[in-house]
Amino acid sequence: MISITNASCVFRHASGREVRALDRISSTIGDGEFVCLLGRSGHGKSTLLRSLAGLNTLTAGEIAVDGRPVKGPGIDRGMVFQEDTVFPWMTVQANVEFGLLAQGIPAAERQGVAREWLDKVGLGRFGDSWPKELSGGMRKRVAIATAFAGGAPILLMDEPFGPLDYVTRRDLQNLLIDLWRSTGRTIIFVTHDIEEALVLAERALVLRAGRIVDDIRVDLTRPRDEEERASPRGIAISKTILGHLELEQHTPGAA
Amino acid sequence: MGAIRRLGAGLRRDWISAMVVIALIVGWEIAGHMAPRSPLRESPIVPPWEFIFGRALTGLSDYWKIEMWAPVPQLGGAQTLLGAVLALVFHSALTLFRLTVGLVLGGLAGVLLGLALSWSSRVRKLVAPSLHLARMCPLLAMIPLFQFWFGATNWAAIVFVAYGVGVIYLIGTVNAVANVPARYIENARVLGASRLRIHRSIILPAILPELFSSVFLTLGLAWSAVIGAEYIGVESGIGRMVIWSEYFSNTGRMALITLVILAYAMASFALCRKLQERVLAWTPKRPGA
Repeated sequence: MISITNASCVFRHASGREVRALDRISSTIGDGEFVCLLGRSGHGKSTLLRSLAGLNTLTAGEIAVDGRPVKGPGIDRGMVFQEDTVFPWMTVQANVEFGLLAQGIPAAERQGVAREWLDKVGLGRFGDSWPKELSGGMRKRVAIATAFAGGAPILLMDEPFGPLDYVTRRDLQNLLIDLWRSTGRTIIFVTHDIEEALVLAERALVLRAGRIVDDIRVDLTRPRDEEERASPRGIAISKTILGHLELEQHTPGAA
Repeated sequence: MGAIRRLGAGLRRDWISAMVVIALIVGWEIAGHMAPRSPLRESPIVPPWEFIFGRALTGLSDYWKIEMWAPVPQLGGAQTLLGAVLALVFHSALTLFRLTVGLVLGGLAGVLLGLALSWSSRVRKLVAPSLHLARMCPLLAMIPLFQFWFGATNWAAIVFVAYGVGVIYLIGTVNAVANVPARYIENARVLGASRLRIHRSIILPAILPELFSSVFLTLGLAWSAVIGAEYIGVESGIGRMVIWSEYFSNTGRMALITLVILAYAMASFALCRKLQERVLAWTPKRPGA
């Protein structure tokens, strides 16, 4: 379980202006949940995710995983970044093995686990390829396989499908849902796209100006196809989120 | 042979550069015959090609000093083509040995030191000004100092080459490390990699493409350094052959040795380009590459 207590983070710009990226955020996320962090850009989603990963230090408050405070990156938390982070100088197989290598797991076991995850993301035949030979969507699959293969029970995803085209994005969303269901890992997924949140999330945390302004149960049935998202409940959730994000002036009192 | 065939293919592809090379060769020959006649038979002002590959080539056997396989002209023996080839091979081997060992040692030391300096940004900021100073030091002016320290020996030449290229590698490495995209390092950290592992598996391969520009830069530098060291002090090697030619104004021999060095330098560049292709097979194709 992840518990976030009064997490605050203040950045000081070069101009001397202080920006409160996180403002006393508190929440808990249970094991096996699929949570989307939603919000407009610059409202703290990525800062919160990076703080969970241990890549960013809070200026006040605390984040704890299973009672242990987060002090830095740890193998209990994996991450898929928005940018292409697949190491271009390693083969696809070596990329997926890297986390296991860093953990000191013997070569034979590494290879087996990596091959298994490459199969699961549909890249079983591409183990010996260089990343440059793969498309952007395939490289994202490599990044997902790498994160899962590392074995972390918590996976943090920072708009991982942002730069991809619509169809590739839908493919990867379905893949991610399958992997989440079959492994039961906790996934915290940052997105600014309401539709993506409706497709993926069990729960949506909406951030505005560094605060959690809403915590919504996305209780739609799966698969979350067009019909399901267009159901009265789906539309209601969309409207609530939209209200928090940008259409606030036009729908007074939505919060 | 492959290099020559490729050179041929290159020339056919690019006939303008072929014409330039031919014009240079022909121009040199014309200059050789137009230049005022030198009073010394061994010292034409501009040695024509037939002189360079005739008398001058055989004359190189003067520098064969081992009483084996070919007569030693210094001891009254005849000048022979075999002696010339032996002298050329012997002194080339010494120079190539000094160059290779110096390059490898200097490269390793420079890269390792560069990685060590990049370990913390505070250290890097501390040493950056002195690095700049080291780069500005005129290399050839330091040869006498190196010979004072290490004697006129193989080691002096090797250490000198290593120092010359090491500084370039050190600076190249520090800069390249600073340019490694943060996302790769963050990803490795999240995957549980230690600092040492990040240096070994992420930073080192990530800086390789940039480091290869240092490789080509230092190759030219290393040739100058090793020839310079032999020219000024060390008593053997192909650079020393130039000095010996100068004693009796053997212009043909000077031109011939220069051509040989040019051939070596071109071959070493071609070798490094091959190495680059192999080592950097993973890099995406750059436009124009």
